[in-house]
Amino acid sequence: MVVIVLALLAGAALTAGPLLWALRRAARSTRAAEQRAAEADLSARAAAARSDAAEQRGRAADAAARTAQDRADAADARAEAAEERTHAADTSARTADAHRTVADVRYAAAVRELVHLAHERLPAATTALTHPRTPVPGPLETTGGTEELHHALDSTLTAAVRAVLAERERTDAAARAALRGAASKIQALLIQVRSLLEEIQLSVDDPRLLALDFRNELTLRRVQALAVLSGSWPGMTREDSPLAELCVGAQSRVAGYARIEITNHLREPRLAVAARAAEPVAIALAEILGNATAYSHPETRVVVSIEQGSSGALVVVDDMGVGMEPDQLERTGDLLDGQAEVLLTELGDPPQAGFAVIGLLCRQFGFGCRVEPSPYGGVRAILRLPADLLTLTDPAAPLSALAPRPITQTTPVFDAGDALPTRKRRSPRVPQQDAPSPLPSPAGSTPDRARSAWSALQSGTLAGRSAAHQSPGPEGPAAPEGVEIP
Amino acid sequence: MTTPSGPRRRLVPAYLATQGRELAPGRHSLDRLSILHAAADLPAGLGGEHRQLWELVRPGALTVAEAAAHLRLPVSATVFIAADLAERGALKVRAPIPSAQPVNRDLAERLLSGLRALK
Repeated sequence: MVVIVLALLAGAALTAGPLLWALRRAARSTRAAEQRAAEADLSARAAAARSDAAEQRGRAADAAARTAQDRADAADARAEAAEERTHAADTSARTADAHRTVADVRYAAAVRELVHLAHERLPAATTALTHPRTPVPGPLETTGGTEELHHALDSTLTAAVRAVLAERERTDAAARAALRGAASKIQALLIQVRSLLEEIQLSVDDPRLLALDFRNELTLRRVQALAVLSGSWPGMTREDSPLAELCVGAQSRVAGYARIEITNHLREPRLAVAARAAEPVAIALAEILGNATAYSHPETRVVVSIEQGSSGALVVVDDMGVGMEPDQLERTGDLLDGQAEVLLTELGDPPQAGFAVIGLLCRQFGFGCRVEPSPYGGVRAILRLPADLLTLTDPAAPLSALAPRPITQTTPVFDAGDALPTRKRRSPRVPQQDAPSPLPSPAGSTPDRARSAWSALQSGTLAGRSAAHQSPGPEGPAAPEGVEIP
Repeated sequence: MTTPSGPRRRLVPAYLATQGRELAPGRHSLDRLSILHAAADLPAGLGGEHRQLWELVRPGALTVAEAAAHLRLPVSATVFIAADLAERGALKVRAPIPSAQPVNRDLAERLLSGLRALK
């Protein structure tokens, strides 16, 4: 429109003035205008293009904005999520704190239990091996879900105790072996010394030989006890030995033997202990008598009574000493029953071996022993010999002159009308039992007849050659009470 | 263990007769040839071995050595038993009879001739 207006204006000018010039100018102007128009067109197109571009950019910007919004939204969401996670993390952190506190408490408790185990329970458990009455404390706390800990601690304790026991066994076995070797050699030599002394006593009348023999016997008893403790055999064998002689033999092995009074209540004076148990019974009885004399006043008596029961024999030893406490009696009872383990390391210093020796011998050879408070005030020890350990010795073998004779056998009474002398009791000491107490005297040669014949011969000879002022006894042949000299 | 001294191993040692004493009691010096007589009844309170010794010598007299052989004890132990009995007056102890001297033949012949001269 502008171009047309301009063209009209130019035409009017050409008409109204120098038209050509005006036309040229108009043409120039037109061209210029065209040019400008073209330029304008160009610039318009450019503007349009720019506008398009701008529009595109605007759209792009819109898109970008939307994208940005989306991103922002996403970021928000992530932020929320992050916040939630932070929250969760806080919570778990607090939970973890709580757990750590619990763990700390348990750890402290476990440490306390370990310290308690190391300082209290383990020492007590090892002490209890040697002193069974020692109380072994348990864990400090038994509640609170610590079963696993306690189980582990108990296992530790058990393993430690087992290790201590094994080591103790090993040490004791080594000590026993060493002792056994030494004891058996010394014992053999002492028995040889005894035989030599016995021979010399027959030809030399020096009483110091008797004292020497006694010292030797004391030493031998000690060595024998050690040999038995170390697991060796009693060191010598014997034949069937009369119980009365065994008791006196045991008496002779004790330092205070003069205080020991043995009373023989046997119905059968030939009652003997079978060979296999003779020396062990003598050793056990010597230990009993040793205890009785060692733990009683030197001026009191030790009363020994040999009894024959219905199913065996008994040797009852009473002392008037200080006695034993109930727990000592119980421990001794365990030793004698063979229930308690005998360890060299536990015999004390100096070793208190007596009851341990007796218990070992009882278990090995089948006799029994028990101790109890004595009515005399001290301790009563009872040695039980079952019937299967008892036998009768050969009547021809004389009893030792130093062995006590049965007190139930009083002076023999000879019946005038009977060819064979029979022995009668004046008053039975014990009520008659079912067993036939007076043994029927076998026909033929009997100790009584042999003795009376021998006594008649002897008294006749002596009466002939001795001074007349010593008249023989009114009954003719000497009939000593209870003397058994065939 | 290896040298048993007899058919039975000794079970009862002889020193029991000493009752723990080092020396026999009393003023009597007893040796193996001292002669023992029963003097009085057996006092109470003594052991069986005292009774046996007293019974042995009651019918007559025995030397210590003989009594020891009967008791099957060494002389040294029998001395203690005999001394105990002598202390209590149940036994009398006499010194050993000195062994007889050889007779002086000259003295005997002179005695014989003197006796004949008395007729």
